[in-house]
Amino acid sequence: MRRQGTISRRGNAFRVKTVLRAIGRGHIGRGVGFALLAALTFLFVLPIVWMTTTSFQASEKMFQLTTEWIPSIWHPENYPNALSRAAFPRYFFNSTVVSVSVMLGNVVFCTLAGYGLAKFRFPGDRVVFLLILSTLMLPLEVTLVPTFLVIHKFDWLNTYQGIAGPLLIDAFGIFLMRQSIISIPSDYIEAARIDGAGELRILVQIILPQCIPVLSVLAVLSFRDSWDQFLWPLAIVSMDKFRTYPLGLIQFGEDYGNPPTEQMAIAVLATLPVFLLFALLQRWVNRGFGLSGLK
Amino acid sequence: MSYRRWIQFWGIGFVMPTLLFLAVFKYGPMFWAFELSLTSYDMVSSPRFVGADNYFALAADPIFRTTLLNTFVYIAGSTILTTTVALLLALAINTRVPGARQCMTVMFLTNLMPIIAVCLVWRFLLHPYGLVNQLLAPFGFGRIDWLTDPATAMPAIIVVTVWRFAPYFMVVFLAGLLALPEDYYEAAQLDGAGPLRRFWHITLPLLAPVLFFVVVVSALLSARIFLMPYLITGGGPGNATRVLSMLIYETGFSYMKMGQAAAISVVLFAIMMVFTVLQMRLFMRNEHIYA
Repeated sequence: MRRQGTISRRGNAFRVKTVLRAIGRGHIGRGVGFALLAALTFLFVLPIVWMTTTSFQASEKMFQLTTEWIPSIWHPENYPNALSRAAFPRYFFNSTVVSVSVMLGNVVFCTLAGYGLAKFRFPGDRVVFLLILSTLMLPLEVTLVPTFLVIHKFDWLNTYQGIAGPLLIDAFGIFLMRQSIISIPSDYIEAARIDGAGELRILVQIILPQCIPVLSVLAVLSFRDSWDQFLWPLAIVSMDKFRTYPLGLIQFGEDYGNPPTEQMAIAVLATLPVFLLFALLQRWVNRGFGLSGLK
Repeated sequence: MSYRRWIQFWGIGFVMPTLLFLAVFKYGPMFWAFELSLTSYDMVSSPRFVGADNYFALAADPIFRTTLLNTFVYIAGSTILTTTVALLLALAINTRVPGARQCMTVMFLTNLMPIIAVCLVWRFLLHPYGLVNQLLAPFGFGRIDWLTDPATAMPAIIVVTVWRFAPYFMVVFLAGLLALPEDYYEAAQLDGAGPLRRFWHITLPLLAPVLFFVVVVSALLSARIFLMPYLITGGGPGNATRVLSMLIYETGFSYMKMGQAAAISVVLFAIMMVFTVLQMRLFMRNEHIYA
């Protein structure tokens, strides 16, 4: 928004409206605005900071009357201790296998479907799109029982394909890809066809390079969604070696005598992969969200 | 095969894997849920047709009625608060004060943190001796038992929900704000309209489709909430924070009443369908805003 340079000369500077107008025009120090926003941001990240410092804290310091933000004695051994108390390396491995599969599945199939719906006309294309969008009302929480029975029929209980299968394609991802691909001019595709390029080659060489921002968003969100899954693995996994880390973490909390500080250590370890993926794709994610105008 | 047909064929081919997936994992289970909801099934003996008995049993069950009410309260509370906070945050970021973009990125991290970590952390923060009470103490609040008092348990869970989801919708709002045409604002400013009037008469009407989208998506997200009440309060105290998805899980997998659980699923499905239909209508009317 461009700021107008005119200064309000009306008196009564303390009237709320005048103050608001001054803020709107950027007269009142931008420093004040920044301070307010920074305070708000701080409030939002406080729980993340708390989780991190607590994971290095001595367990008896957990419920003191005032939180000790910087541990007087650091306890990095909380991490190896927590990892060794249950099969967490295995649980994290399972979660990684599942989440990477779900992420790749979404990236591949949502791109295909999004492209098919954005740039091809075929009988019933609109109905197909609405059918896909409608599945937003059919998350696993709703179809938990019958989906469990489907997986049971496939004999996929306690398998990776059982945990990942029902998550491989998400309607939201298709929607995201379709909306992004629709804005790519069809002339490019026509020109490539005239030059004799095959349909797959058009997808890979013309469409994909322009979709990197939105694909980054899709990758981050689908990885997070799968990494977060709790109810579904809870329903279909009963063998310890196929547990994902959230199941392990709950069990860890319920087992008597496990210090909550070590639970926080696992929580920190579980947070790192998502943050890392986000940091890795950060350059594109902002553009993918449609925020390129934000300086 | 004509060339046009050939291209059509490719289009169908691109969509085909998704259609197969939906048939197996979405629509198939949905129809199966309807069928199961009319039976009594414990996974040991085969399903026995009982007509609408499961639904009658639900209607007579006080726990189900409380749970249904809780679900509505949760959906309404978290949708309204999440949308409001998200919009305010987006407006704050959109002032473009120095550091605004960095603040946005940092706030967005709350949306990326694993939800299980969110629940575990907030369970400690809301503990009677936890950080929330410590921070409120200087303002004259006493020791509040957030999670064990039926009056505060649901509001507490809603606060956690807002903390978790508002930064995501903030980004959606922000994208909407950035797409608004600037000349309206310049004209309004020349006419002497203040920031409040500009917000009310320009920003809000132009942002209406995005606002509607956020409300619907946030309602869909809240309707399926499971882990937050399951882990933070366990549905308690009493049944004060029990929601439908928890009841589905308990009925189906703790009590092995698959037919009854399917009937609850159908109720949850009906709630989600209302919001989805709203979203469809929005989409049909405003397709241009998504493109």
